Amino acid sequence: MPREVEPSLNERQFVLQALQENLRLDGRELDQYRPLELNFGEEYGVADVTLGKTRVLAKATAEVTVPYTDRPLDGIFTIATELSPMTSPSFEVNRATETEVLLSRLLEKTVRRSGALDTESLCLVAGQKCWSVRVDVHVLSHDGNLIDAACFAVVAALRHFRKPDTSMDAGVLTVYTPAEREPVPLSWLHSPFCVTWSFFGEDGEFAVLDATWLEEQVRVGSCTVSLNKHGEICQIAKLGGTPVDAVSLLQCTSVALTKVKEFSELMDRRLTEDLKRRDKGGFMAQLKADNDR
Amino acid sequence: MPLDTSTYSLALLRVDGRRWNELRRVHAQIRTQAAADGSSYLEMGHTKVMCVVTGPSEPGPRRGGVGGGGAGAGGGGGAGGQGKEAEVVVSIVIAGFSSVDRKRRGRGDKRTLEMQSTVANALAASLHTHLFPHSQISISLHVLSQDGSLLAALINAATLACVDAGIPMTDYVVACTAGSTSTYAANDESADPLLDLNHQEEQELPGLTVATLGESDRVAVLVCESRVQVSRLEGMLAVGVDGCKQMREILDRVVREKGRRMIQEGTVEKGIGLNEMDVD
Repeated sequence: MPREVEPSLNERQFVLQALQENLRLDGRELDQYRPLELNFGEEYGVADVTLGKTRVLAKATAEVTVPYTDRPLDGIFTIATELSPMTSPSFEVNRATETEVLLSRLLEKTVRRSGALDTESLCLVAGQKCWSVRVDVHVLSHDGNLIDAACFAVVAALRHFRKPDTSMDAGVLTVYTPAEREPVPLSWLHSPFCVTWSFFGEDGEFAVLDATWLEEQVRVGSCTVSLNKHGEICQIAKLGGTPVDAVSLLQCTSVALTKVKEFSELMDRRLTEDLKRRDKGGFMAQLKADNDR
Repeated sequence: MPLDTSTYSLALLRVDGRRWNELRRVHAQIRTQAAADGSSYLEMGHTKVMCVVTGPSEPGPRRGGVGGGGAGAGGGGGAGGQGKEAEVVVSIVIAGFSSVDRKRRGRGDKRTLEMQSTVANALAASLHTHLFPHSQISISLHVLSQDGSLLAALINAATLACVDAGIPMTDYVVACTAGSTSTYAANDESADPLLDLNHQEEQELPGLTVATLGESDRVAVLVCESRVQVSRLEGMLAVGVDGCKQMREILDRVVREKGRRMIQEGTVEKGIGLNEMDVD
């Protein structure tokens, strides 16, 4: 397994020295994100998120399956993360690295355990048929802060996704194709977003948002807070690293809340834009034979 | 079965009869395994954990997969303990009989892997790993019984075992959990914080695990897995940090008591620095 190239001592010192003077290599403020872009694909449920040079693609799909025997009234919702060698040579196929395990656990806790998607609404026939919604996260390019980008992509993909409409008639389940009936959105309850702080310095006294890959390699600790715009914490994960003052962690959380509100606005805006683009002016407009010429 | 918290406001007593700021009974022992470099046994209420530390020693052949976190502090902890700092490797085994329902958990369970990496990274930052280049400290944790606050118990047991192994460290890494009296859905602004959740409370109430470095306010681990309002975080964190201070006292007493006993028994020579310790 090829090892990740570590930054040289000079590079390391340069980054840290600059941070001591409140400067970052790309000229951002300490609590400023790189430009965040969100694009949707032609299909429903494909979200492409770019955060600086980090790029993550999430795709949501749904199929009808048998529910788990211990949860007959719930649908199935899974998030699959894949870090391929394309992302970085140190990631191998079919072998989960620590980064990947932590990333998938974090997404799981943020989106699944916080109940963002109402799994009960995915149930079709109790104990027999349910929707299985699956989100595949593909990291196309890794330049730091995978977690925030991946979480944003997953939430975007799920909110954009439409599953085929179904009906129950005298015990017969019918799944309609998009041509027969317009697909329906998932029953979405709230949108959580991750905000990751990176800590630098001897006592972790410098807190920095949206670290690049170079910064991630020289940081002494990190803390990921997941919140939604209503000010509810869905998850906090500071998994070891240099101890950081409790008060500064609280400050980090409140700053994270303002960031989450910005994310939330951005996503709402992009979703409405996309909806407008797809809307061809109703059924009658689609049936019209004459063109604009 | 849902936890009945309706009576809490009447008597201010929790399901197991504790008040909000009380820890469960903590029983700890060190040097439980004679053959190991360091070992400990810790009970927090009905949560029972055993820990064995091997090392610092020459790293064995590299095992595949995610053995645990590398040395986190300052970076440089390379693969296979080849770096400038000792690598901390943690493995957690959860016994099948440890919880009420016998659930089979493989080694690849993501929750266990996450806990392994958390314990490793938390200790790596406080152990003086730079004193042992090209070596490995392997910590093996066994969960014998689970009744809430599992991660906290694991961190405490690992710290005790590292003390027993004589690995230099900045301070104890001590952990405990904190929660809030009413469920998330109740949206109760006046909810009181709670200290040291048991399994029943952990299932129903929002809670977090805090690990601090000794008696300082500096937080090494903060894990919250439930949905909770931001406004409740401050109270929960304050209670958790306070609980960690109590926990440090308890662990410190265990270590000192064991040291005193070993001198009395003549297992170890009374050192020069031990004069102020009132042995007789």
